[in-house]
Amino acid sequence: MNHAIVLAGALIAAGIALGGGAIGAAVGDGLAGNATIQGTARQPEAQARLQIIMFLIIGLVEAMYFINLALGFYFITAVASGVK
Amino acid sequence: MIFLAEAPPGTHPTVSVCGAWYCTFNYDSLISSALAIVITLLVGFMVAYRLSHGVPGKLQMLFEFLLDYVRGLIRESVGEGGGFIVPLAMTIGFYILVANWLDFFPLARPVHPANADLNQTLAMALVVIIVVQGYSLRVLGVRGYFRRFTKPFEMALPIRILFIPLNVIEEVVKPVTLSLRLFGNIFAGTLMVYLLGLLITYVASLVPTGLPGSAFGVVLTPIVEGLLILWKAFDIFFVGSIQAFIFTLLTIIYFGMAREGLEEEGHGRHPSSAPAAVETGG
Repeated sequence: MNHAIVLAGALIAAGIALGGGAIGAAVGDGLAGNATIQGTARQPEAQARLQIIMFLIIGLVEAMYFINLALGFYFITAVASGVK
Repeated sequence: MIFLAEAPPGTHPTVSVCGAWYCTFNYDSLISSALAIVITLLVGFMVAYRLSHGVPGKLQMLFEFLLDYVRGLIRESVGEGGGFIVPLAMTIGFYILVANWLDFFPLARPVHPANADLNQTLAMALVVIIVVQGYSLRVLGVRGYFRRFTKPFEMALPIRILFIPLNVIEEVVKPVTLSLRLFGNIFAGTLMVYLLGLLITYVASLVPTGLPGSAFGVVLTPIVEGLLILWKAFDIFFVGSIQAFIFTLLTIIYFGMAREGLEEEGHGRHPSSAPAAVETGG
């Protein structure tokens, strides 16, 4: 019984963490894309350089979310195996 | 589908030499990183062996392009004294790239993407950060090194003292984020493919056999598996390459940050880097 409650709590917590992280990553991606579009509209010849920077920023932004995902999975497995 | 064969991520079989915690190894990570190292060395030596002054091959062109790019980055953010960073950054970046790409091929059980083990990425990040701190000490001198921890240099001294804890945290967090970023991306990618593969099997097991609908599942399963392979290819070739690039780039940026305060500080300059300090404006 105790184990079930703790496991359910861990799953819900991981879900909330993943949801919040996804919101942040999505906002960050949107900002990066927005800035790239504006830069391209102003200076179309800079598009190639801007795109490289955009993918770089997206990689950095989404890394936070993936750290979230990996650590959330670790926490779930740790909680599930730790509470008997 | 053989390309989707994935071991459950997050578990590492260990082998212990003497029974204590400090000589216990995740032997799957050892095997997979050894494989990646061998391939990295093979490709590197192949390019070096077939080096030509005339028309370069495609691989040599790619290497020259990457080297030029990294050299340019280092010139911009570190300055002229940073030539020794090129081998470090390129080796780590190329190794990460190979280790990430290896995961696409169907490999036997103990082999997994080498960077899906935090020990692996933390080792690389620690090496980078130790070299960065050593470089900082060498370039700025002991006094300049500690002065760097009072970072907003234009503020008054009492305010700068308040910033010391923040700067210490910043330095400590660098290897942590550097290693967790790579580990999180690769580990989460493996996890996603594994979970999606489980989902396909689960949904397929829900369809009762003997009904007219089960024929639909027979057609649908290969399509879904093909889509999953596409996802895996995207995950490995796109995310893996970007993460390798980001690791290289952040290595260079950390070296650039390690020489902050050199411009206004006249003391403790290394003789060889003194001219570069005058030229580079930050």
